[in-house]
Amino acid sequence: MNAKPPMSEGIRVAAVADIAEGEGIVIARSITGTDDDVALLRDDDGSVWALDNTCPHAEASLAEGWIEGGQVECPLHSSKFCLKTGAVDGLPATQDARPHRVEVRDGQVFLYPGERP
Amino acid sequence: MTSTMHPGAEGQALTSPPRTALRRPAELERTVDVSGLVDAEGGLLDRALFTDELIYRQEQRRIFATHWLFLAHTDQFHKPGDFFTTYMGEDPVIVTMDKNRKIRAYLNSCRHRGVRVCRAEVGATRSFTCTYHGWAYDLEGKLISIPNKEGYPDTFQSGDWGLVEVPNVDSYHGLIFGNWDPGASSLRDSLGGMTWYLDAMLDHDPEGTIVVGGVEKWVLEGNWKLAAEQAASDWYHVNMSHGSALTVLAGGKPKAEVVHRTGRQYVDPRGHGHGFPVHPRNRFDAQTVHEWMDYAALRLRLGDARVEGPLTTGHGTVFPNFSYLPVNGSIRVAHPKGPDRMEVWAWCIVDKSMPEHVREAQRLYNLRTFGPSGIFEQDDGENWSEVQTISHGFITNSMHLNYQMGLGSEREDGRHPGITSELYSDAAARSFYAHWRDLMNTPAWHERKTADE
Repeated sequence: MNAKPPMSEGIRVAAVADIAEGEGIVIARSITGTDDDVALLRDDDGSVWALDNTCPHAEASLAEGWIEGGQVECPLHSSKFCLKTGAVDGLPATQDARPHRVEVRDGQVFLYPGERP
Repeated sequence: MTSTMHPGAEGQALTSPPRTALRRPAELERTVDVSGLVDAEGGLLDRALFTDELIYRQEQRRIFATHWLFLAHTDQFHKPGDFFTTYMGEDPVIVTMDKNRKIRAYLNSCRHRGVRVCRAEVGATRSFTCTYHGWAYDLEGKLISIPNKEGYPDTFQSGDWGLVEVPNVDSYHGLIFGNWDPGASSLRDSLGGMTWYLDAMLDHDPEGTIVVGGVEKWVLEGNWKLAAEQAASDWYHVNMSHGSALTVLAGGKPKAEVVHRTGRQYVDPRGHGHGFPVHPRNRFDAQTVHEWMDYAALRLRLGDARVEGPLTTGHGTVFPNFSYLPVNGSIRVAHPKGPDRMEVWAWCIVDKSMPEHVREAQRLYNLRTFGPSGIFEQDDGENWSEVQTISHGFITNSMHLNYQMGLGSEREDGRHPGITSELYSDAAARSFYAHWRDLMNTPAWHERKTADE
């Protein structure tokens, strides 16, 4: 699945300050080297997580979703996904979202595409 | 006639997919000639126009589907995705700010099975998703998600199935209006000379108005026109209907000056009206608001005639169902809910330049006088419901109603623009019903195409 092997440094994709709490941004697949764009999602406790951006159910962008309490809710059909594991909590989606590990160092977000958190 | 050249053809595209064999039979939309129900010149009304189901349905087609209608205040929209749901007649609509910060309005009904795509009264969103099967629309009304889309035939084009958009949305000094008629004249033209009177409430200073508190909503028995005509025209009821409230506010002793008010009533040929006492020391009732107001500055900006007239006490209606009371900042819509029922939605607006304690004083004064629990509002609602409750008896319904006060008094008074009548007069009501009659007897934009075929 993943086009690139694990990297020790990760890819610097954003500053934490670029993402408001409860919001998400999209990192293009041309940067991440993944099959799908990656959604960087900032929880309401300030922590940053990454999932494949396209909802496994339909064509929604999870970066546009509602983020709070460790979950992102799909903006179109309301399935919720765990920010850490990508696990789906109920219909209409049936598949989990794919998670990616992130690290925050000195206020910068480093993405490790394909690595589990 | 080439149908594509006609406004009706454009109108058809509002709600119809490109190819359809559907043709609604005319029997479903029977039209009544209402010219025998309104004698505006003689000041008499047939009571059926408050009670009849056919007339009510014709109002939906020829008044609410053709006229500029109040939707919301601009202060309710600050970010893309902010929305407010309301009604245009009985049609549910979503008013929202799109990604380009443009205010737009859509029919709140999924193009698939017709469920509302927004169930909330107010909020912020990124899309509108139907709770039934999951069709989802973006802020521009475009259909962006169709679960199991592969089940539809190749001829299905999602571009044909966006939300039905209200083709005209415009605002005047913070008041947002919508109009379903693709060929409608401008909002400004529709308001006509009424703007001079509206500005006395909306244009105290360059900062304009904002909304304080939420939207209060209440249901009551009574045809929607009872609320609209009263605010347009009826000062006559004040001393009788509101006698107890006025006595209490005067410190427990009736005041002769309250009863013997003189003033004028603006009579607009488009059915609008505004009645107001005229006095050199007209003032805002709430003491904190009165003390904050700079009447000298208002005289410079609005002129003496407005400060001594429509600035404060009085009330008006913008045809058909938007009304306002400047003294307490109340703006409201009487939504029709069948011939016998209305739902009043009321906002309290204040000058943006007011400091917090003045805004709060006006909000409380508004609640205590013209909110659903206000001491004046309850008097009015009681009368409207009393009128409606007995109106279906045959003999009762056949009894003509009297609107003759001030017959022939309409004139140019040299101080207030347009035509005015006495404060105590039915002139604006007569004009309201004359305009109502004319619209009810005119085929609407959505009927013309059918008529041409």
